[in-house]
Amino acid sequence: MRVATDIGGTFTDLVYVDEKGNVQVEKSSTTPPNFEKGVLEVIRKSGINASEIEEFIHGSTVVINAITERKGVKTALITTKGFRDVLEIARGNRPDLFNVRYEKPTPFVERYLRKEVNERLNAKGEVLAPLNTDELLTIIDELKKEQVEAIAIVYLHSYLNPDHERRTKEFIESQWPEVFVSASYEVTREWREYERTSSTVLNAYVKPIASTYINKLNDELKQLAPSRNYIMQSNGGTTTFEHAKELPLYMLESGPVAGVYGSAVLGKEIGEHNIIAFDIGGTTAKCSLIEEGEMKVSTDYYIEKDSKRAGYPVKVPVVDIVEIGNGGGSIAWIDEVGSLKVGPQSAGSQPGPIAYGQGGTEPTTTDANLLTGRLSPKNFDYPVNLNVIEKVIKEKIGNPYSLSAVEAALGIIRIANANMLTALKLISIRKGHDPRRFAMVAFGGGGSMHAAALAKELGVNKVIIPFASPVFSAWGMLMTDLRQDSVVTYKSILSELDFEEISQEWTSIENRLLATFESDGVEEPILFLRFVDIRYVGQEHTVKVSVPEDEWNEQIVEEVKERFHQLHEKNYTFRLEDAQCEIVGLHVTALGQVKKPELANVEKQGTLTDAIKEIRPVYFEQIGWIETPIYDRELLPTEQVINGPLIVEEKAAVTIIEKGQSLHADVYGNLIIDTGVQTNA
Amino acid sequence: MHERISQDPFTLEIVKDTLLSIGDEMFYTLARTSMSPIIYEVLDFACGLTDNKGQLLTQGNGVAGFIGTLSYMVKDVLYRYFGEGDINPGDIFIINDPYGGGGTHLSDVGLVMPIFHDHELIGFSANKAHWTEVGGKDIGSFTNDSTDIYQEGLQFPCIKIVDGGKENKALVEMIKSNVRFPELSIGDMRAQIAALKIGEKRFNELYDKYSKETVSATIELLLDQGEKMARNSILNLPNGVYTATNFIDGDGLGNGPFPIQVKVTITDDQFICDFRGSHPQVPGPVNGSYTTLVTDVRTVFLAITNPSQDVNDGVFRPLEVIVDKGSIFSAERPAPVSNYWESGSSGGDLVWQALAPILPTQLTAGHFLSVCSVTLAGKHHDTDDDFLIVEPSVGGWGAGSGQDGARGQFCIGDGETYNIPVEVAEARYGVMVDSYRLRCDGKGAGEFIGGSGVIRSYRALTDAQMATVTYGRHLYAPWGVNGGEEGSPNEFSIIKNDGEMDGPYGMYARYPLNEGDIIELRTGTGGGYGSPFKRDASKVQHDVKNGYFSILDAEEKFGVLLNPKTLELVGETKERLQVREAGEL
Repeated sequence: MRVATDIGGTFTDLVYVDEKGNVQVEKSSTTPPNFEKGVLEVIRKSGINASEIEEFIHGSTVVINAITERKGVKTALITTKGFRDVLEIARGNRPDLFNVRYEKPTPFVERYLRKEVNERLNAKGEVLAPLNTDELLTIIDELKKEQVEAIAIVYLHSYLNPDHERRTKEFIESQWPEVFVSASYEVTREWREYERTSSTVLNAYVKPIASTYINKLNDELKQLAPSRNYIMQSNGGTTTFEHAKELPLYMLESGPVAGVYGSAVLGKEIGEHNIIAFDIGGTTAKCSLIEEGEMKVSTDYYIEKDSKRAGYPVKVPVVDIVEIGNGGGSIAWIDEVGSLKVGPQSAGSQPGPIAYGQGGTEPTTTDANLLTGRLSPKNFDYPVNLNVIEKVIKEKIGNPYSLSAVEAALGIIRIANANMLTALKLISIRKGHDPRRFAMVAFGGGGSMHAAALAKELGVNKVIIPFASPVFSAWGMLMTDLRQDSVVTYKSILSELDFEEISQEWTSIENRLLATFESDGVEEPILFLRFVDIRYVGQEHTVKVSVPEDEWNEQIVEEVKERFHQLHEKNYTFRLEDAQCEIVGLHVTALGQVKKPELANVEKQGTLTDAIKEIRPVYFEQIGWIETPIYDRELLPTEQVINGPLIVEEKAAVTIIEKGQSLHADVYGNLIIDTGVQTNA
Repeated sequence: MHERISQDPFTLEIVKDTLLSIGDEMFYTLARTSMSPIIYEVLDFACGLTDNKGQLLTQGNGVAGFIGTLSYMVKDVLYRYFGEGDINPGDIFIINDPYGGGGTHLSDVGLVMPIFHDHELIGFSANKAHWTEVGGKDIGSFTNDSTDIYQEGLQFPCIKIVDGGKENKALVEMIKSNVRFPELSIGDMRAQIAALKIGEKRFNELYDKYSKETVSATIELLLDQGEKMARNSILNLPNGVYTATNFIDGDGLGNGPFPIQVKVTITDDQFICDFRGSHPQVPGPVNGSYTTLVTDVRTVFLAITNPSQDVNDGVFRPLEVIVDKGSIFSAERPAPVSNYWESGSSGGDLVWQALAPILPTQLTAGHFLSVCSVTLAGKHHDTDDDFLIVEPSVGGWGAGSGQDGARGQFCIGDGETYNIPVEVAEARYGVMVDSYRLRCDGKGAGEFIGGSGVIRSYRALTDAQMATVTYGRHLYAPWGVNGGEEGSPNEFSIIKNDGEMDGPYGMYARYPLNEGDIIELRTGTGGGYGSPFKRDASKVQHDVKNGYFSILDAEEKFGVLLNPKTLELVGETKERLQVREAGEL
């Protein structure tokens, strides 16, 4: 049996597929700081026979939490002489342009723990000054006195030649076996010393935490089952526990990414290859684009970066996701000049929306959805007091605009939708994609509620609300392959490419990935995918172009060039036929292909009338109040089309369909929505 | 039904947000399509939309230094062509005139595109970007020893580069023949045009989706909200007249220093900055135009009123900037203006200096201020190709109440500007970077300490390289506030291959470097805030541990006595105790 568990802020989800192919889910509370307890609890609660678990896939927020809560260990940094302050100088940028009190991101290693050694390579990776290990001895003594627990090593140009870093790591480990060491060449093989330093320092900072956690989980699991255990990574694939302990930074965004991956897998099953994956949770909404069945994986990731903060670069492979502070718990408020805003502040789960009756006093999107009849008070765990919600929304939002409570509630929903639409446009239209070519897969607690309306605005015709949509991320984990991505800086003008050299480079990257799989005991068949990061000479930003697995020759160069011109024109509106093209990076994805469960056919007979739970008034934009049928998702007969307005309810989610839209359930239990957008225009 | 929905406050809000995001989208388009590091790394450009009268609606910025320029550019287009009926769909105007039309220096080239909807002029899409090359006497075009505008490059006096959708080939050929890196300049121009077209397209979509009335109502709302927010902030400032005086180091030709002054008058609804009495325009290129001054004053105005708000022309309605004709802040043709930011940022800094003591929660002590630009040209050691570095430098910022100054950050006139990574520089240019580190010079002491400046050392790897360095604030250090110590000035020195030292200098045109020579660039540490005696002893101890101050500094400046071996706290000086006791009484 294949089991996936996903630790979220509030709940630890478990998903597995039973012998009939049915997806089963369970939830239990997340248990900080001993997260493994929650995992064991959810396994126990699910009632599965633990000894039958063959494969166990795990996603966790342990790493991202340790970083955002600054709960990593005391970390030191060793750099090339003259460059210990690179971490603090960073890139010198100030995104909050007009704020003279702007505060730069605080370095994760203070200056007195940043040490320098004599060693130097040039920009070709040649040694100019040998590594001075005597200095390392002194540094080790000092850092021992400071009771440092982890050390990051970053030397200039090590992305070309990691020898000095490797030797430094070996030397430290021989002198001081207890300390956790991360060298930059292990984390990233790309140029730009600040980005590499930031990434390596963060990896070191969380390495002891992740090791302890994974070890504990491993020990507990061993008692239960002889399972093979995997960790979900940010690149949309899994890795072994051993590998995850070395590179914990690679699991930074495991949860959100799993849902995107799940969308891609589901899309393949039902014949949709161009997908906008859309996930709304309690505090944020996330979206990501899948084209021709492929997620976009890049190493341009930052944490804590937004329009006002520079953030910290993390050069590890992460699926491109745009995230905004808009979820079910987002608070609606009026700014000082009278504009209605929703989010990014969230009521969270404590106290939560007013609806929870746990002391929440600020109106949220969830409260607005209740007041307009979109959500039913019956589906809440607590008794919901609609009168209180109405009073608060009237006072805080309605009165300032002389509007009724329900008009104000609709305003909150519209503004929240507008915010989310901006994020959806960012990944689609603004990148040169035509939304009419895409289907939307919507999931998470709030995804199904807003998807149909947003898809229509965006110009997407088809929306899919997958089975188990509230725990779809965990389902995505069930379907993952083992995956490694390696991005290596490699600079060559396309027309001057040395075919032998680049072929060697590809082989060397692939051999390295293969060796990692082998040393982790991976037996699955391995598939390699190659990409080049390419640009016009003089440009900075690159376009990722998929390239064949073959030996390089003139013909491949021509194909790559044409594909690049096309993609550049699509993304940036123009192509430069006469300009030189330059490769700057090689990207290899290695997939260890795992046998996965198949989707079960859950065809249902019955009538639509029997599926109706109730008929209640719901407030829709441009219509006002209208008596609306509420269907039970469990009872919806397969392939029978219903026209909106209507609502479909399930455990922990609702789907809202406006007038002019329609919906049916497919044989797998997915809800398929026609948003009313014409796609042949 | 349609009417009710189109005029409700939430629709206006949604249209407003869409409008604002257009400026950002234009901005990212240009950043991602440009071919010049000065644009895609330094983000030395801005993009925006105006209404059909040239009022700024939204602007995407990479640097603070363009916040006054776009609307002046559009207004110049209107002034010259509207009366003639010569603004037509598909036109694009090119303009870099420093003395009018939103100009700064010739390197900053503006493009303006009218936007039509149903044959009606509804607004303008505009941007301005620093071209790596516009010709002139020196490589990289901007120079620090020009004596008139004609030495500084090509002048584009608001003319059509695209006429009714047709590119003016003759003009493009003229540009190609008159700049040193034509592929960069023309590439940047095309990227700018791509961004303008995105703005045009999105603005039109907005009109298509919502009615003309709704968009017009939104524009009015946007400008009024901006004004309302600014006026609210001004109401909360203490009314009064505040003054400051300072100096601009010199003009690069050996003249100077030049005294400058401001009188800031704050009333309930006005914010007036009167620069009259400042030095007349000077022979060297540190002069700025009136637009430049307004831009820099607007930046400080925003820092004071509300740094996080969306910027449009409504915000600046309460602001007035007064200046003498032909001053160093309002130069007239043909005064050289290549290093315009030296006067402009000094003007903004004067307002900042005048108000910092009374606005300790909005402002900080003085910072290194100058763009600190460096151009280095020569041959690459491996390829023998020409290379050209054009970069600003990071430096130290001033401390404020409750906050130490930032270490190693671009100056106020820059912003979302990125330094060039050492690994990239060493691969691309004929140099080695010997170090890139904080300049911990013990300056800027205070209850809150000024941020350290930065040292960056380039070693030439080939003969006959040429460095042009423009470090302002070299003679006058960043000022402290409310008892905080001043910071340190910007400077650079040369260490020749044979060990001979030369310097320090502030400005230098075309310093020759040969293989093995090192140019060490040192930017200033920011000013401190409050008496150093008030700084927590444990913080001082930590500063020493981190190397920001020496043990001697701890004693002499902060009155904190530390054990030189263990850095343990062993006592406090009498002076420190007296000040602290007095403070507590």
